[in-house]
Amino acid sequence: MIRIGVDVGGTFTDVTALDTGSGRFHIFKLPSTGHDQSIAVADGIRHVLGDAGRTPDDVTYLGHGTTVATNALLELKGATTALLVTGGVPDVLEIARQRRPHLYDLFADKPRVLVPRELTFGVAERLAASGEVVLELTDAEIERVAAELEACGAESVAICFLHSYRDAAHETRVEDALARRLPEVFVSRSSRVAPEFREYERFSTAVINSFIGPVVSRYIRRLGERVAEAGLPVGPRVIQSNGGLASTDAVAERPVTTLLSGPSAGVVGASYLAGLAGIGDLITFDMGGTSTDVCLIRDGRPASANERGLGGYPIRVPSVDVHTIGAGGGSIASVDGAGGLRVGPESAGARPGPAAYGHGGTRPTTTDANVVRGRQNPESALGGAMPIDSTAAERAVATVAEGLGTSVVEAARGIGRLANSHMARAVRQVSVEAGEDPRQYVLMAYGGAGPLHAAEVAAEVGMTRLLVPPNPGTLCALGLLVSDVRSEFTSSFLRRAEPDTLPALNEAVAALVAEGKAWLAGEARIAQRHDVTVLADARYPRQNFELRIPLPSAGLDESSLASVVADFHAQHEKAYGFAHPDSPVQLVNLRAIAHGEVAKPDMPRVSAGSATPEPDALLGTRDVDFGEEHGALRTPVLDRAKLKSGNTFAGPAIVEQLDSTTVVPPGWSSTVDDFGNLLIEVDAE
Amino acid sequence: MTETVVDQVSVQVIGNAMLSVAEEMGAVLRRASYSTNIKERVDCSTALFDAQGRLVAQAEHIPIHMGSMKGLVQALLDQKGAEQLRAGDVYITNDPYTGGGTHLPDITMVAPVFHDGGLVGFSANIAHHSDVGGHVPGSNSGDSTSIFQEGLRIPMVRFMIDGAVNEEVLAFVTLNSRLPEERRGDLLAQLAAVHTGGIRFAELHELHGSAVIDAACAQLLDYARRRLEVAVAAIPDGTYTAADWLDSDSPGQEPIRIQTAITVAGEEISIDFAGTGRQADVAINVVRSALEATVYYALKAALDPDIPANGGFFDAVRIDAPLGSIVNPRPPAAVAARTDACQRVADVLLAALAKAVPGRVPAGSHSSITYVTFAGPDDEFFVYPEVIAGGAGARSDRDGLDAVQVHVTNSSNLPIEALELEYPLRVDTYELITDSGGVGEHRGGLGVRRDIRVLSGQADFSAHADRQTFPPLGLEGGGDGTTGRFILRPGTETERTLPGGRVSGITLDHGDVVRIESPGSGGYGDPFARPPELVARDVAQGRVSADSALRDYGVVLTGDGAVDAGATARVRGDRREG
Repeated sequence: MIRIGVDVGGTFTDVTALDTGSGRFHIFKLPSTGHDQSIAVADGIRHVLGDAGRTPDDVTYLGHGTTVATNALLELKGATTALLVTGGVPDVLEIARQRRPHLYDLFADKPRVLVPRELTFGVAERLAASGEVVLELTDAEIERVAAELEACGAESVAICFLHSYRDAAHETRVEDALARRLPEVFVSRSSRVAPEFREYERFSTAVINSFIGPVVSRYIRRLGERVAEAGLPVGPRVIQSNGGLASTDAVAERPVTTLLSGPSAGVVGASYLAGLAGIGDLITFDMGGTSTDVCLIRDGRPASANERGLGGYPIRVPSVDVHTIGAGGGSIASVDGAGGLRVGPESAGARPGPAAYGHGGTRPTTTDANVVRGRQNPESALGGAMPIDSTAAERAVATVAEGLGTSVVEAARGIGRLANSHMARAVRQVSVEAGEDPRQYVLMAYGGAGPLHAAEVAAEVGMTRLLVPPNPGTLCALGLLVSDVRSEFTSSFLRRAEPDTLPALNEAVAALVAEGKAWLAGEARIAQRHDVTVLADARYPRQNFELRIPLPSAGLDESSLASVVADFHAQHEKAYGFAHPDSPVQLVNLRAIAHGEVAKPDMPRVSAGSATPEPDALLGTRDVDFGEEHGALRTPVLDRAKLKSGNTFAGPAIVEQLDSTTVVPPGWSSTVDDFGNLLIEVDAE
Repeated sequence: MTETVVDQVSVQVIGNAMLSVAEEMGAVLRRASYSTNIKERVDCSTALFDAQGRLVAQAEHIPIHMGSMKGLVQALLDQKGAEQLRAGDVYITNDPYTGGGTHLPDITMVAPVFHDGGLVGFSANIAHHSDVGGHVPGSNSGDSTSIFQEGLRIPMVRFMIDGAVNEEVLAFVTLNSRLPEERRGDLLAQLAAVHTGGIRFAELHELHGSAVIDAACAQLLDYARRRLEVAVAAIPDGTYTAADWLDSDSPGQEPIRIQTAITVAGEEISIDFAGTGRQADVAINVVRSALEATVYYALKAALDPDIPANGGFFDAVRIDAPLGSIVNPRPPAAVAARTDACQRVADVLLAALAKAVPGRVPAGSHSSITYVTFAGPDDEFFVYPEVIAGGAGARSDRDGLDAVQVHVTNSSNLPIEALELEYPLRVDTYELITDSGGVGEHRGGLGVRRDIRVLSGQADFSAHADRQTFPPLGLEGGGDGTTGRFILRPGTETERTLPGGRVSGITLDHGDVVRIESPGSGGYGDPFARPPELVARDVAQGRVSADSALRDYGVVLTGDGAVDAGATARVRGDRREG
């Protein structure tokens, strides 16, 4: 039996296969195929099956992370999309929240509105905030807009009416008519995609769903075909922004749920591995080539958000709350006219990339600084597969040295310190925004460059413990193997939590729970256990922010309602330091979270060793610069593949493996646990 | 004693750490505050200062706060003297004339920070309070004529003494607010924030040593100053001038001129507002701190948007403003709606800078705080305030932004659905205004039309807005933007355009509609140089009318909206010659 996770990134497609028979991982990295990601997916699957000596029939599970939706939005390569909107308010998307994109940069632009104004059609209909019909939608009007839509030739359309979260009847009548008349047009309606009040965010989400819908649908179809051609008996499950899996059908209908899925699989994998290592409170530190993703995990649960942005567009779907900053291995360093050093956000990207990679890059990057200091192998990377041009790296860093008036090594240290300082600020942000002290947390480092920088970033923040997983470069693919099936169903309620509203509340909760169960019945055949939990977004009347509080999933009565209300006051007190126990509480949205728990594979363990690494784990030594305090130290280089459970070693040390390099500075020590994680801690004084 | 010098990278790393402290203070303030204004609209800022009272790190959200922050600690040191400051004491003020504030709703709080028994700096924040008394709810009326009408003036007093909240001051402030519980909560949130900032700042001193932190602070200030000097040095020496007008401030009064002369000599820049008109009868006066914030905004936007937010910037700029003018009023001139005039000051500064750094400054923006209020009895008494955005100026290489807030403010709109859920009002129309952007090779951004219908029995409408007489100016041959206006009952027999932007006490009946139109912005460059295809696109998208396409752009369109290239060339050629 074999379980496979395939994560497609901008540069590489990572495949991780776990053979549950042998208890071994098979990992393969191949270049992504940008024009059709499914080619590399299928090739990668064939490769790991060969490596494991298994046949396609043995595959029981295929988890997949894709950037097709994300790229279509960021590169603005979606479908020609039309908008049907309540008459009189055609410019909700143009006006947005009326804020300018940058406080001081007068040349910054708003993100392009995805529906050009000539494809925006006003529809004569109107609801009041109560749901009462102010202007009836007539069949003749539906006929008229359907004809206009047909004539304009759009591939997709979003139906966005004011107050449709209250009553979706007008939107669904148009949707039904379009399904009959224009079956080839991809249709999203706002009351389905994001049924919550605040029109700009809801309309934006629905329009994005339609903009990327046809592109994602085509991809999903091709992927299904290729997986079938490869002979796999199971279809792929796709990771969503909330860190849960969904079927390809569900994703084809609501591709918007995958837009922020890139980093979410890594967070799921990090949370799972840390849990096995007995660590529940951690901050993930996923540093790649162009950006770094940071996420707070408290008590094993990653922070979540109801709304996030991508490319300047708000997206109202639940997601893992990952904070992304533009600092990575490819971040370019320069010196400004006032003598200040800058690192990022400009990036050399995959091409030309860092000077050290020899693809024509000449400008100094964080990676080049690491090569100059010997932290990254100055001769080759990827286990020897990729030569490193350390002379080019030095030449590039010398330009910064000249600007700063320092030596090349000092300039390289400066680049590293400033990059670490930017990332430390991000780590502090995700913790203090949640009211947490980062010093109580473990920093979990992954991504190609995370383990290179983690110790210094941790030191800058005052954190004293790091966890580096066995395969930092492919943690996302691992996350795909341990994700559960998950989706969220929302309805707007907007009534007070009072006995009068109990019948309506019970009815609304029952409808959501039924929807969640039906979804699980169809989606979660791979799951062992199904559950549907119910939450409410609650606030004091006229507040403009909500807190999530749990609700019983059935049969609310006066006493359980009273405890829900008490729970809200208590949470408000906890989150904000005060409560208004005499104030009514308003339930803005109701949410049912449908969750199917997928059986987790046993993680392979590394064999037990002695306290000292075996002699053959030592690859050699090299001079590594550890900053002003220590200078260059002759540093042992260890082979990650040869480390055994129980091995302990003190810094300075470098641990090399195919997909990453870990730096253990002087004053830190590392131990290897049963799963092969490196637990790196500051030495007691 | 040798002076400590810290290497440039360490300075920047320490700067980032101090910015993190300011950000943590902001997080504490938002989490602990009561009011939507702070929690949701983030109308607050937090900062650290060095022992000399110079602002070294600010987490900024609103440009205008820079001024209050900068003046705050200087005022504290001037009034109390460093020797009077004690650990465990926290000061509070909101006064524009004595405490560095810009208007009364912005309450600032500051704590001296001690380490090893010595004063090492200050932790401070500012928050916009939703009511501090005065003659209108919200303490933010445009028509007050003296600061004494605008609410409680809080001098520099101690909010906390020796670690205990000064309950007398707290009671004094809350008694003067229409929302005392909210004031109490927000003030205690500000206190929690300065407390956190103080602890963290002291930790940095402990970690690096005070000599290093002090040196890093000095070098951070120096760096910001150098950044501005580098940008200024690239400008040809000379004096660059501009002037514009504020609409009449009250019936029968003349408009007020805003004038500036920016003089550049090498790395030095000075700004003189000589020639600027009288202080206003109403609450649009700009005190020193608000003027400095506006100068900071304009220079940073035009010259280097990434200059760090610290006080070193001001060491490189000299600002002169005639006493008794709208940009340096004599007390007790009213100031609540000072942003109306700050916006025009920003316009004038940018217009002058457009001559200094051609191509890097856009044409004139709507630059109006189009502020409207609907209020009246319903199930309970309601007050709905809103500020409507307009067009931002066309740039040298692209069109202006439609429907955005500009310059010293950047506040959000209230969603239509939220508005209709909360108030007995309905939004009939919310759209961009065709032809409101100034014509040009690059078109000005469009203004906004918002029609609001009263659903309750009766409601009261009041508003203040500018640029209803003088339009946003075009640049380099671009046309002006449109002016804004308020129209009662549009499209009915009793339709009436209000006489100006400052109105109050207008009674509306059930079913009445008020149409609010905000200004579009100026265009950039010769409209005949605009590619005809872009004009055709604008017409197809309803941003420009077919009439304007022909009249202003000389573009002839065929029946299906395509460019008639031959006819267009003839029209453009004829008119150029004619």
